[in-house]
Parts: sequence; C-alpha cells; structure tokens
Amino acid sequence: MSDAGVVRLLVFRVGNLVCAAEAERVREILPRLATTRIPGTPPLVAGLVNVRGTLVTVVEGWRALRQPEPPAANGTQSGTTVLLEVGGGRKVLGFTVDEVVDLLAADAAALDRRPALPGIDPTLVRAVGRRAGQLFVVLDTDALLTPILSS
Amino acid sequence: MDLSQYAELFLAESREHLSACNQLLLEWERQPAGLTPVSGLFRAVHTVKGMAATMGYARVTDLAHRMESLLDVLRRGAHPATDELLQLLFRARDALERAVELSVVGRERELEVAEIVADLDHAALRLARAKVGAAAEGPREAGGVTPSVVPPPPEVEAAATGRLVQVTLRPEAPLKAGRALLVLKRAQALGVVLAVTPPQTAFEAEDFEGRFSFRLDSPAAPDEIETALRAAGDVAHLTVGGEEVRGSGLEGLPAAPAEGGRSRHIRVDLRRLDGLMDLIGELATARGRLNQLAAERRDPAIDDVAIQVSRLSSDLQAEIIQARMTPVWQVFDRFPRLVRDLARELGKQVAFRVEGKEIELDRTILDELGDPLLHLLRNAVDHGIEPPAERRRRGKPPEGEIVLTAVRERASVAITVSDDGRGIDRPKILERAKRDGAVDAHAEALTDDQLLRVLARPGFSTAETVTSVSGRGVGIDVAMTRIRALGGTIDIRSEPGKGTAFVLRLPVTLAIVRAIIASVGPERYALPLTYVAETVELGTVTTTVVEGREAIVLRDRVVPLVHLRRLLAVTSDREPARAPIIVLEMGDRRAGVVVDGMLGQQEIVVKGFDAPQGTLPVFSGATIMGDGIPALILDAGGLL
Repeated sequence: MSDAGVVRLLVFRVGNLVCAAEAERVREILPRLATTRIPGTPPLVAGLVNVRGTLVTVVEGWRALRQPEPPAANGTQSGTTVLLEVGGGRKVLGFTVDEVVDLLAADAAALDRRPALPGIDPTLVRAVGRRAGQLFVVLDTDALLTPILSS
Repeated sequence: MDLSQYAELFLAESREHLSACNQLLLEWERQPAGLTPVSGLFRAVHTVKGMAATMGYARVTDLAHRMESLLDVLRRGAHPATDELLQLLFRARDALERAVELSVVGRERELEVAEIVADLDHAALRLARAKVGAAAEGPREAGGVTPSVVPPPPEVEAAATGRLVQVTLRPEAPLKAGRALLVLKRAQALGVVLAVTPPQTAFEAEDFEGRFSFRLDSPAAPDEIETALRAAGDVAHLTVGGEEVRGSGLEGLPAAPAEGGRSRHIRVDLRRLDGLMDLIGELATARGRLNQLAAERRDPAIDDVAIQVSRLSSDLQAEIIQARMTPVWQVFDRFPRLVRDLARELGKQVAFRVEGKEIELDRTILDELGDPLLHLLRNAVDHGIEPPAERRRRGKPPEGEIVLTAVRERASVAITVSDDGRGIDRPKILERAKRDGAVDAHAEALTDDQLLRVLARPGFSTAETVTSVSGRGVGIDVAMTRIRALGGTIDIRSEPGKGTAFVLRLPVTLAIVRAIIASVGPERYALPLTYVAETVELGTVTTTVVEGREAIVLRDRVVPLVHLRRLLAVTSDREPARAPIIVLEMGDRRAGVVVDGMLGQQEIVVKGFDAPQGTLPVFSGATIMGDGIPALILDAGGLL
C-alpha cells in the first residue's frame, strides 16, 4: 500500500466467479505448469510445480471455490497460476485461475466489510467490489489457503 | 569504531575457546597435578578477554580478567586441582559463555556476574595468601578469609601481539576515568588496542588510581606513540614496550600458532554455503536438461560440450559438498562436560569416551544431531548406569562407561551411544506395552525392534512407571522424530545387566544424493540409494504371507513387501507381472518396495516443500527432474 487508503487488487476469473486478491500478496503470475501429484492430499491440491528451481504447491482454484471445471484446450489444461503469499509472506502457494482480468486500485476502507454473498463461503469474502458493472469478490486468501498447508 | 561486523566472528571464536576450556577443565580433573591444562585455560581465557576488550564488551572483559587472575595464581603456584576449584572454574566458564552470548546480541546489561566475580576474587586472594604462608606453615587449605581488598590489578600478560603500553596518570588529576579513556581513544587512532587492563569498566571505580595498561598493535614508532598518548594530558608516566611477545610464564608450553604459519582455513558464513548449494542444485538440474537435449539432437558438438559441462559441474558439486562437511567433534565436544555434570548430580561414576571424532557429516545434519544425542546421553547416565554400590553388588567396576562412537558406513554415518549399565527391563516394558495395547496380548518377548517402537511412542515414553523402573523412555520419541526427519534411523540393542546401545544412522549429506528413479503408473518417484540393498523381480522370488503381510523370502530372510501403487493410490492399469522390487535395508529392518519399472539412477538435488495437509508421511522431499518437472523422494525410514 503505497498510497494511504488505496489498495491494488488483481482481478481474475475462476469458473463463473470474478474474484480479486490484494496485489501485494501476489508474488508472480505464471502460465499453468506441469504438476506432480502429492499422494494423500485432497483433490483441490493440484500438486507440486517447479518455479525456477523452487518447489511450490499449487491449489486448484475451481475446486477450492467450488466452480465448474474449466474446459481443456488441445488436451492440456489452459489457465494461469497465480503465486500468492500466505501467512504474512512466509509461504508461497500457487492458485490456478481461468484467466487474469485486471489490476485496479480500490479504497482500502472498503476492504474487510465481509458481506455475505450467495454461492461462496462467507469466511472467504473480505469485500465485494464492482468493475465494469460486474460484481467481484475480494478473497481472504489466507483463510482460503492456510488450512491447506498442514503446519 | 564500528565493530558490529566482527560480532559474529567474535562469537564463533569465543565459543571455540570456551569449548576448549571445558575440555581442559575435564582434563585437569582427571590429572589434578597437571599444569598443562591450567596454562591452556589461561591462554584461552586470555584470548577471549583480549577480543572482548577490542569489541568493547566491558563485562565480558572484566569477567575474563578475574578468571584469568585466578588462573594466573594457580599457574604460578602450580596448584593442584581441588573439587572446589574445579566447580568454581566450571561455573566461571559457564558465566563467561553466557556473558559472551548476551554481549553479542546487545544484552550485556542483563548479566548477573556479581556473585561469580566475588567468588573468583575471593579464591584468587585466598590462594595467593596461602602461598605466602606456605613457606612458614607448609601447605594448607586457606580458610574462609573474607577479602577486605580487591586484588591488585595484575600486570598485563602477554600472548597478545603489539606493544605493551603502561600508563600512570598524575595522582592529582581529576576525572581519571575520562582521562584514561582519552588516552585509549588516542591509541585507537594509531592502531588496534587490545587487552586493556584493568578493563575500561574499572576506570569508573572509586579506587581506580590512574594506572592502566594495554597492548597497541600499530605501525607507529614507540616515540611517536608516546608523544601521541602524552598529548591526552595528565600523564605522569608512560612506557611503550617492545614489539616482541613476552613470555610471561608461558615458556616451555606449545606456542600458539605463529602469524607466519597462519591456518589455511577461513570462516565462511553458513548461509553462503547454503546459497552455493542451492545454486549447484539448479546447475545439476540444468545439466540434466542439457544431457537430455544432447541425447535428442544427436549432434556430436553439443554432445562434447554436454559431457564437459557434466564433468565440471559434478566436480564443483563434489567440492561444495565437501566444503559443507564438518567433523562431528564440533558437536561432540560439549558432551564430556555434560556427562560429567550429570553424573555428579545423580551420584554416578561415569567414564565417558568419544571415538571417531574426525568423521564428517553435512553441517545441516550435524547441527540437528545435538539434541537427540543429548537425550540419549542423558538417558544413559540417568537410567542406564547403575549407582556405584549397585554396580559393585553386581560384580561390575563402580565406574560405569559410556561410549559415543561415530563410524562411516557406505553412504551413511552410524553414531552409537552405548553404556555398560543395567540394560532395559524388557519384561516390565512388555507388560506395560500389553496393557497399552501396543503389542499383542500373547506376545512373550519383545524384539529390539518392537522395544524401540514401544519406547518411542510419545505417550509411553513419558509415562512415570517406565522412567522410575528402568525407563529409557524420556526423549526417545523426540530423538527418533528428529533423526527420521533427517532421513536417518535409530536402532536399539539392549542386554539385561550388560547395557544398552542406541545406533543412529544418518546420510552423510542431505543436499545431493544418488537415487533410483522408479515409475509407478504415469508417476515417477526417487528412492535414495543410501538404504537400497539390492533389487529383485517379483515372480522370480518366493512370495509368502507373514503376519498378514505379503513378503518375499530372500536368502532365508523374510522381507515384507510394500506395493507403491497401492500405498500411493496410483490410478492406472495393473502392476506388471515382473515388477521390480527395490529392497531397502536400515539396520535390521528390511522392506521390498514394489514399483512398475526403474528408469535409472541419477544424482538428485533434495529440496524441501511445504507439505499440504494429508500428504502421506513417506516423503523426505522432492527433486526436479531433467525435464524440469518435480518428482517426490521416498523416505526409506517412512516405508520401513
């Protein structure tokens, strides 16, 4: 947050849901990478990917947000992986989205109002914004991703 | 002078000297008449004092100074070790260690040293007096004479470099402390000031008479120094000594390494080594990719380069791994003191021996090893070794023995903690394990393996009944968890009345290992060769069922099978008829891991990953394969 009171948000689409995450938490935006399954983990964990020599666990966005599976293009899955900092930047997790839509600035005071919204677990919603006449959900990425890491 | 950049170096070197102090004190305890340990102690403490003075850690300097004074009296008087003296010096050493650690992190003020300082001064004075009286009365233990005066500031001992500068301020000079500091400041402008005596803190004391000395390492000529220092004002008398290092009673002792024969070692920040290791890891990955490309292109020119790059990066990798290797004494050296203290506390007599000190392990593994070993040694003293009376009754020598050994095995190092104590009371443990349901109710005896498993159960280990009877429990679960996390194992051997041994096996290095790459359905897994004994094929060996588990018989030994496909829930077609079995061996335990195929052997770079919830506890990390895709590394300990 460089300017007081203003936060920058990365807006992306997962299934039918337009969501946003604080841009400050976004480490990197990457194409979808080849994953290695981690036996024993729930289906929403896509697996491990190699980000320039560092291993990152990737979470399947559509499963985490209970959205329909994105259609496969040319037999391979399309989409984008957003690397998000979790727990104050101590860990990084990948989160797959269908597409990245926009980067925009929003009023910080509007965050953390935690309104209820149909179709999404209220504990994951920090705020609701509006962009080009469309509603989007500002996700509580910590609440969404921290439980996935065991410790 | 900003010295903060030297703080870490100061800490590292001080720790070494303090560790040496422990060894020397133990040596002196064993040979109370010996003088060598005292001289060594004096030198070590003196060095710490000198460094602390340079760093401006006044309290460390002061404490070291008092300790040094006492050691000086002992040295000159050729005093034999007494129990009281040893206890005092051990205490002082510990206090000095604490002082060093706190000073470095800027918490010097929290130090409580008044008591130990008083005890040291008291002892020094008493011994000095006893010596004076000795001529007339013969040797006697000085009684509890309370000292009425602070011992006089002893002259500066040598063993430091630079010129000795002795200063006396005018008796009528006001603010002697300020004046003295001014002299030091001027000296610092000329060079490095060492061994300020008395330490700067003492300048503030009421009885500071304005006499002090220090060593000055400076290229300036003596008369230049004198002129510069006298300019501080109020100096009544000032001498600048020659450059040679004075003997000061150290004659006949092995000299400290001379400047010319400088050690060929340098200190490297561990983080640098870790960084290098990460880079070399990436290089190894890139090398794999290059080799793959070269194989696909079939271009001899590319092939040549690929081979050369491969060789160079392998050599580089080997060098860096070697640079990370650290001899085990760096961790083992603190144990003799610990065992001694514990034995005293518990009223046991213990001879402690360390073997294989020079065996090397990766620094990271070694650092993690301290606590588990501590637990095991504690157990050995507390529960293993019997009290002297009991030992005599059993026809054993009253002094028990504990041996800590490091031995290099194939790609691992075995560290053994053994004692000749009473051994583990198996019937008691068995009874208890049956009650807990840890073993079958009809079991008649516990094998070593079962015994360990029972002892390592967290709830079991802390159970009071176990520890008070013959217990071995406390800490074994902790030790086991740590060792397992490092990719190692623990084994136990125990014989009633004869003793117990714990064997820890650890990989020599964590960072890069040679591994078999196995395929299971469409997936690949790496199995480090460290614990691979051999490979056989399913269908060519006899299979059987033991205790409900599928197993194979290999040279008359039953080896239970683990079907990776089932364990990891790999969804795909059936296991091939002649599936390879990778036989793992860890101490006495074995298991056959059934996979679909073996893709070859290669060096893999072990990387950690944040295991998500639910991850099966059979992975020790992951690696990046030649094609850039990660593969998980199977943990032999977890599979056995």
